[in-house]
Amino acid sequence: MLDILPMLAAEIPNFAATLPLAFAGLGAGVGVGLVGGKAAEAVGRNPSAFGSIMVMAIIGMALAEAIAIYGLIIAFIK
Amino acid sequence: MACPKARRASALMQITAMLAAGELTVQANPLYPNLTWFTNSLLVTIIVTGLVVIWSRISTRHMEVVPKGNQNIFEALVETLYNLFEGVVGKHMIPKVFPLLATLFIFILAANWFGLVPGVGTIGFGKPGAGPLGLEEMHAPLLRAANADLNSTLGMALFFMLWWVIWTIQEVGVIGFLKDNFAPPGAVKGMLRIFLLPIFLFVGVTELISIAIRPVSLSLRLFGNIFAGETLLHTMSSLGSVLPIPLNWISAVLFPLPFYFLELLVGLLQAFVFAILCSVYIKLSTGGHGGEEGQPAH
Repeated sequence: MLDILPMLAAEIPNFAATLPLAFAGLGAGVGVGLVGGKAAEAVGRNPSAFGSIMVMAIIGMALAEAIAIYGLIIAFIK
Repeated sequence: MACPKARRASALMQITAMLAAGELTVQANPLYPNLTWFTNSLLVTIIVTGLVVIWSRISTRHMEVVPKGNQNIFEALVETLYNLFEGVVGKHMIPKVFPLLATLFIFILAANWFGLVPGVGTIGFGKPGAGPLGLEEMHAPLLRAANADLNSTLGMALFFMLWWVIWTIQEVGVIGFLKDNFAPPGAVKGMLRIFLLPIFLFVGVTELISIAIRPVSLSLRLFGNIFAGETLLHTMSSLGSVLPIPLNWISAVLFPLPFYFLELLVGLLQAFVFAILCSVYIKLSTGGHGGEEGQPAH
């Protein structure tokens, strides 16, 4: 099953630099979605806490998205 | 295109189309060949700092009890930031840390938004082409977003870490800092504590490594967001360059439009996240002990 990797590396020009970005993007998408969903649920339970929930949700999303940004930097630099 | 006005307008649009398709390098471009350290990002940093200082001086020139205009905006901004950071850091630390945190937020916000002004990143030096000011391809922009340079963000992150070390040692002392990281928690007593000591030594080393990674993650997050946004806008502008002439120019203006608003939001968000993360790091290391030690002195 893993012999697909050299085949992809032969086809796609910059595979070694863009494969980490693919996985990082997948992880970041799932992470940000989870944070957003939990935040929406928390606001539903306690609508008066909207301000502090929003602050914490924004922090969580930025931290989760940073991993994808690291992958993006590698893809740009190589 | 007989009349000169139409000819001038078409030449201008041609320049814009060619300029938008230039390339962006990861490193900032020096403006003079001999001085490699004076880059276009450094020039923008100086300009943004000057603008922020001038605006703040103008706002606070004739202070009135009931503010209006510039002073009102400035007071609202400072008061919001003060309440926000006080909620995180606590009343004891806030006088020491507020200047640095607020400056980081305001500077990063101004620098991010200045990079979206038309002309920043698109007007520059390169190989001359058609028209009096036209370029065939651009090698180096004259002005470039300040935080699209890793030097700038790394400098800010390292400066913050330096002050974090100073404030932590001032609050809890070197012994207290080592105890926070390396010793088992105080609730565990007696023989169990001696057994758990090697495990917590390992935990302490991991904790120190994660502290050392903080400037890396802070700087790379900001740099990656702003640089990727810049590249995204350039790519979107040059996406329709293979179309025939009127669609060429329309697409160069229309395609980046939604991403422009995204970049406005990202600029604000990244400034906010940088400052909030810095305040959270301060709170984590000075939180518990600093409050207790501060009480008897009052």
